[in-house]
Order: sequence, then C-alpha cells, then structure tokens
Amino acid sequence: MTTHQKVASRALITGCLSFCLLQSLIAQSGGDVDVAVVVHPDTPVSNLTLAEVRKVFLGDRQYWSTDVPVVLLIRAPVARERNVVLKVIYQMSESQFKQYWIAKIFRAETATAPKVVYSNDMANELVTAIPGAIAFIDARDVRPGTKVIRVDGRLPKAQGYPLR
Amino acid sequence: MYSRLLLIFALASGTVLAQSTSSSPEQQESVQGLMDRIQQLEKRISELEDHQRKQDAAQAASSGSQNLVESQGSQDKATLAAALRSEHAPSSTEVREAEVHYPSLQIRGFGDIDFSATNEKGSVSGFNLGQFVLHLASPLSKKVGYFGELSFTARPTGYDVQVERTIIRYDYNDYFKISFGKYHTPIGYWNTAFHHGAWLQTTISRPQMVQIGGTFIPVHFVGLLAEGNLPSGGLGLGYSVGLGNGRSSILSKAGDSGDSNDNRAWVASVFAKPTRFYGLQLGASVYGDKLSPDPGKNFGEWITSADVVWTKERPEFLSEFANVHHRDLQTSQTFNSQAFYVQLAYRLSWLESKWKPYYRFEYIHRPANEPVWDVSGLSSVADLVSSTVGVRYDITNYAAFKGEYRNNRTGTNEPRVNGAFFQTAFTF
Repeated sequence: MTTHQKVASRALITGCLSFCLLQSLIAQSGGDVDVAVVVHPDTPVSNLTLAEVRKVFLGDRQYWSTDVPVVLLIRAPVARERNVVLKVIYQMSESQFKQYWIAKIFRAETATAPKVVYSNDMANELVTAIPGAIAFIDARDVRPGTKVIRVDGRLPKAQGYPLR
Repeated sequence: MYSRLLLIFALASGTVLAQSTSSSPEQQESVQGLMDRIQQLEKRISELEDHQRKQDAAQAASSGSQNLVESQGSQDKATLAAALRSEHAPSSTEVREAEVHYPSLQIRGFGDIDFSATNEKGSVSGFNLGQFVLHLASPLSKKVGYFGELSFTARPTGYDVQVERTIIRYDYNDYFKISFGKYHTPIGYWNTAFHHGAWLQTTISRPQMVQIGGTFIPVHFVGLLAEGNLPSGGLGLGYSVGLGNGRSSILSKAGDSGDSNDNRAWVASVFAKPTRFYGLQLGASVYGDKLSPDPGKNFGEWITSADVVWTKERPEFLSEFANVHHRDLQTSQTFNSQAFYVQLAYRLSWLESKWKPYYRFEYIHRPANEPVWDVSGLSSVADLVSSTVGVRYDITNYAAFKGEYRNNRTGTNEPRVNGAFFQTAFTF
C-alpha cells in the first residue's frame, strides 16, 4: 500500500466515523423531542384541544378573559419549535405564514402579529413576564415560573402528544 | 469546540465525497437536509453555550457576592450590583421590547403594475399603474385599535386619493367588538377578505360582482359594526352586525359625507369555521337599505349572499353567490339580479412551491328593465359570463408575478372579448 493510499484510506475512515457521529448527533436532536405549549402562570387555562391551540395561534381567539389579551410569541425562522408550529398548528409554509399575518392585520382583524423570540430562554423569560403570553418551547427547556398547557389532555412526553 | 471541529470536518469530508461522485437529485436533497440539520445543531449548541455561560456567570456572581459583601465596603457592593444588573439587563430590555407600546403605528404599502391587451373594439393595450395603497394599523390601548387604508389610483388627470377604510375599534372580549368608521361591507367573502392590495389575492382582478367602483353590491359602508365569535364549540361561529349610511346617490360610493336619505342601511352576517375541517369557511349575509338615487325615485334594496371557501392553497377554493332584490317603492315592482363566482387554485409543490395556477368562472344576470342599474342613464351592471385562467408566481415572500387570460361576454348579444393580462404585485 502506497503512502497516498494510506492517507486516502485514513481520511476515508475518519470521514466515515465523523459522519456516523454526526448522524448520531442528529438522531439525538431529532424530531422525537416534544414541544411544550407554555403560558404565563396567571393565564386561566390549563388544558386546550389542538383545535383551540390553533384558534389561539391563528389569532381567532384574542382574549383569555375580558381583561387578559393573548400575546403570541413564536420562535424566529429555522428554529425547530417554529417548524413544529408551522407544520402541526398552522399547516403552512414559511411564506404562507408571513402572508397570513399580513392579511390578518390588513383585514383589521388584529392590530399586532406574533412577537418573534430568538431562543427558548427568551421565550421562557417573556412568558413569565408578560401576562397572557403563550409560546412553544422545547419541553426540555421549560423553566419553573411558566405553566405548561395540556394539549388534548396530554402533557409533553406523554404518548400521543400531538406537538413533536 | 471539538464537536464543532468534528462537524466541520464531517461536512468537509462529505463535500469531498459529494464532489468525487456524480450525485443524484435525491442525494443532493439528503445533503441539503443534513446541511440544514447541521445549521440547526450549531444554532442549538450556541444557545446551550450561551445558557451555560449565563448560569456560570450567575453562580460566580452569587458566590462572589457573598464573600465580597462580607469583606468589602459599600463601593464594592455598588460595583457588584452593577455587574448583576448588566447580567440581567438584556432580559428586561427584551420584555420591554416585547410589550406593546401605545400608540404603535405600523404602515404597510401595496402596489401593482399591470399590462393588458384585449381584442375589444376601441381598447388600447399597454401598461398602467394599479392602485398604490397604504395600510395603517395602530393599537391605541390594550382594547382599542385603529385601522386605516388609503388608496392612490392613477387617472388621466392625476391621482384619485380615497380613504378606503378608517376604523376605530373597541374590543370588549372575543365575543363583542364594536367599531365605528368606514368599512368594506361584510357581504360575502371576497369583500372583507381581500382589500385593495392586489398582492393579497391570487388573481389579478377581483370578481366583477365585488369590483371596486362597481355597483352590484355596496363595496363600502359607513357607520358602526359589532362583531365577534359566538360560543359554538367546534362549529367556530362568528357574526357581524352593522348599521350605517349605505349607498350614496352615486351607487358605487358610500355616504362618507352623509346619507342620501333618513333611512339607515343595515347588514348582518354569520360565518362558521368548523374546527374539524381546518381551512373551511361557510358564510351568509343579509343587507337592507333604501336607495334614493334621484329625487323622487326610491327603492328598497335587499341583498342576500352565501359563500363557501377553502382557504388552504392545496387546493384553494372560493365561491360566493349574491342576489340583489330591488323594489320600486312607488310602483311596488320588484327586480332580482344574481351573481356568483367559483375560483379554484392549486399551489404546486415543485419548484419551491412558487407557482399557483388558477381558474375562475363568473356569472352575472340582471333583468333587462331593472331601473336601479340604469338610473344614471348608463348601465352600471350588465350580464356577464366570464372565464379566467392564469398563474401566479411568487417571486419572493412579498412580491408576485401573475399572468392570466380572460374570455368574457358582457351584455346580451355582445361578442366575446379575449384578453391577456399581466401584473406584478407586491407589499412593502
């Protein structure tokens, strides 16, 4: 075996090992992680159906109670939580989602679009601080001080939980 | 750090391997998928690292604070407090930024540039600027909001500026919201779903029955409107009830500066968005008014309409029907005119889902001796049979190019007219 062949075979083996490691990292971070629906602790709901969550996130339900408006928080593009929300809740592509909210405001059906949050930390902090706030957070990152909503009677990690 | 290097190496080796072999589209797709996942993982790692750094800093600060507070004087306390404040400062800024400030004006513009060419006698082909529209929205408090819409339409003598909508609304809760101002009349679907921005609608033009400046239905309404949801579980019912000026003596215009008679127009509509069929919407509406288009001429107007729409894009289905009933209050003669359209579109999944072909069929029928439509001496509503086929291409998330072919016959015994139309519509 020549020196070139040795170098090539080592590079190939290292590449394969790296690829396997990458695959395992991807698998660990893959689509099995549940996305929790969290609200401000004073929000007067603890269980919503998936259809009700959709209604809230579509802006069709804008008040939790007479004095507490819904404040929608959604992760910025590329985040996994946003992808889950777009796929399961909105059933829209990124461009459809943008168009939906422009049209919603333009129809005078709501004055504000969902607020964009850039990390789960930020989502946790804002949900804790803003009355009426609701957000989607990776279930592993939910912090004390927020209230996790049951969706269709199930909490994250339960069998049949719809947001994953 | 090592994991990042490893990822970069894996990516580099993957790239080399990819370059060394001729990859199929499936492989390219897989590689792209992996690249996306790597980006997401890198983002996630940086988030976790930030989180860890914050925790470490907080722990260090808290353990340090105990020692320092015990051993040092007030100057050190102040320094430490400032350090702690700076650690938490981004959170409070983020909260402040996320909170809504009042008033909080948002402006969005819409525009379109059009080209048309038809074989209609006397028509001239060429470009024209469509409407330039500014939309304003501003929450004034937690429960009060303002919405406005201004349009600038090119005319041979200049620009026609119109206040299309100006609405101030108080939300009591989801079940009761009351507003005052000028609206697009909640009759049917299109008139309240698509306003003056052509970018919002799939097609180049609105259906003739809801045409801006048309007379078949009163497009605008000045007065008050109560609206909201109805407690109905999975049916997803909603309503709107309004009282206002109705049409002015110029039938295509609302009574912005006052009504044409002492009789108010009223409108009531209900709709259902069943939760089981996300995307489906069913609606019905009724509108009543007294028209006084000329001195001594009075007509009762009663409009009923129904609509069925499927708002998703695979497919998109829009249809509505309206019957306009006029009654001459002197002779008690009655006249009924009908109009409907059916529009079908489908967002193609290939080529990045940018293409959306569509087809629309429209129909309008009016009695030949209907006096209201001919009150000005010119026929403002004519029989119509029209087919439109076209395609929309979304250049970006905020701009679209549309091209369509129309074949329509306006009036009885008139020849069919064919036309090609193109439009670039955008929002900014």
